[in-house]
Amino acid sequence: MSTTQELHQVFATAFEIPVESITADLEYQGIVEWDSMSHLLLVDELEKFYNVSIPMEDILEMGSVDKIKAILKKNGVEIQ
Amino acid sequence: MLKSNNSKEETMGLYDLIQKNKKLNFIDAKTKVVKTFADLHESLDIEDLRAVVFIYNDNQLPAIETFLNFYQKKYTVALLNAGLHPAFKQNLEKEYRPAYIFDPSRTEVEEYELKQVSAAISVFKRKEIRLSPIHGDIKLLMSTSGTTGSPKFVKISDHNLVQNALSIMEYMPIMEHDVVPLNVPINFVYGFSIFTTNCIKANTIVCTDRDVLQKEFWSDLAEYGFSTLSGVPYFYELLHRFGFFKKDTPSVRYFTHTGGMMNKELASIISDYTQIYDKQFFAQYGQTEASGRMAFLPPKDFQTKGTSIGFPVKNGRFEIDEDTKELIYYGPNVSGGYANNIFDLQHYEHTDKLYTGDLAEKDEFGYYHIKGRIKRIIKLFGVRLNLDEVEVLLKNELGGQTFICISVQDKYLGVIHQDAALLRETITQVIKEKLGLHASSVKNYYFDQVPLTVNGKVDYPAINKHINENENSFAAAKTVLG
Repeated sequence: MSTTQELHQVFATAFEIPVESITADLEYQGIVEWDSMSHLLLVDELEKFYNVSIPMEDILEMGSVDKIKAILKKNGVEIQ
Repeated sequence: MLKSNNSKEETMGLYDLIQKNKKLNFIDAKTKVVKTFADLHESLDIEDLRAVVFIYNDNQLPAIETFLNFYQKKYTVALLNAGLHPAFKQNLEKEYRPAYIFDPSRTEVEEYELKQVSAAISVFKRKEIRLSPIHGDIKLLMSTSGTTGSPKFVKISDHNLVQNALSIMEYMPIMEHDVVPLNVPINFVYGFSIFTTNCIKANTIVCTDRDVLQKEFWSDLAEYGFSTLSGVPYFYELLHRFGFFKKDTPSVRYFTHTGGMMNKELASIISDYTQIYDKQFFAQYGQTEASGRMAFLPPKDFQTKGTSIGFPVKNGRFEIDEDTKELIYYGPNVSGGYANNIFDLQHYEHTDKLYTGDLAEKDEFGYYHIKGRIKRIIKLFGVRLNLDEVEVLLKNELGGQTFICISVQDKYLGVIHQDAALLRETITQVIKEKLGLHASSVKNYYFDQVPLTVNGKVDYPAINKHINENENSFAAAKTVLG
């Protein structure tokens, strides 16, 4: 079982911003750090950290922190 | 196109050419609002002044409608990036004192009042408009760099824009029933030329700021049946990652590109794709100073000459300076010089000659190839950054110390500083906040001594060599180690 805290840390690493600035309601393009370029960096970080492979159609659904949790769950990673 | 027709079109203004397209309509992807050109024509309650207008463009229908309304009148319109940092916006407004500002992201602007000019559109109107002289030929102002907030604008005339649009339409297979997304912002000259040429000839313009990483982009593609897609190399890399080139998207007939060469692997994938599914790919070369495009590679040559920029557009020609190898362009689309302040708007320099700042070669078959740059400009994700401007920005933001900026492996902005205590985060924060560039695009280096030339100037070639050689051997080592 993984924690939300860990997930936020993955975001922070991908976007190179402090983990405190990652909030549950964060959305794609909601902050300058989360753009089309860093989105794929985030996918890479998530895949590395959780050791999963996220299909491209799922990547389009990853528009917010909540949606990313749902996608990870679909791929076998439950986050509490 | 008939010759007689052509000469008539050359004497028409851009707005008239667009108005002549009776089928033209616009869809706003976000709201689904549909408007015909007639709906947009003189739709805003504004007077007719020879004054500067700022439009912070987000590519959505209200911005497009506002642009067309001001352009039709005597105004000189500056098309700017809506995402520009607020402090930069204020600086630019102080410098050029625009009579009107279109900026949906702000609720108030000092010295301006918000005025509703149509049911859906409000603009900021300057409380005291003081007209200062503007040369009659200056219709459009475009920033040479989308993000640094530099007040340096390129002065473009209506004639420049018409000439370039007609030259592009000579080779671009635009058809009367086409549905064209504005998937490149029109405040970039490349996006603007997609906008003008398709307004003149196509059927539907889809106004949008959605990108390929949003599922709405893909649903729009399916729903509206885009006839064409456009982008910088990074856009094509993303399409590739989405498996776009593995299957047919029947509505899309052709692709356009600008912003530098793609890597060989991707170019070959796209080349195979265009042959299997009978598509056309137009690699192009252009600059803001040329009001758009200067050269294109015919699609049939993409497979064998993929690294070439091809040939000059119609009515344009190239020359390569014998001594410097700099590429020089001649054509009716060469703009009227730069403005750094409101006083520079009194002059428009009529010329057909442009020093591109790029080094070029012409091969034995007549194809032109770009070999490098003279100017200190890099492109990161298709966005042009003037390294000298970035140096000044960092200096101003970080207490006046000296920074040296270079291009690292054509992929990163290299920042060299001499303060051992300076944190990487401090640098990336400024770059991110002011230029909107992600921290991973930045490489920073601490030098206790900066190499100088005999004249005491920063020795850029030495620094470039030192850093790029180190980075290359580092990248190679990483590859070997996996």
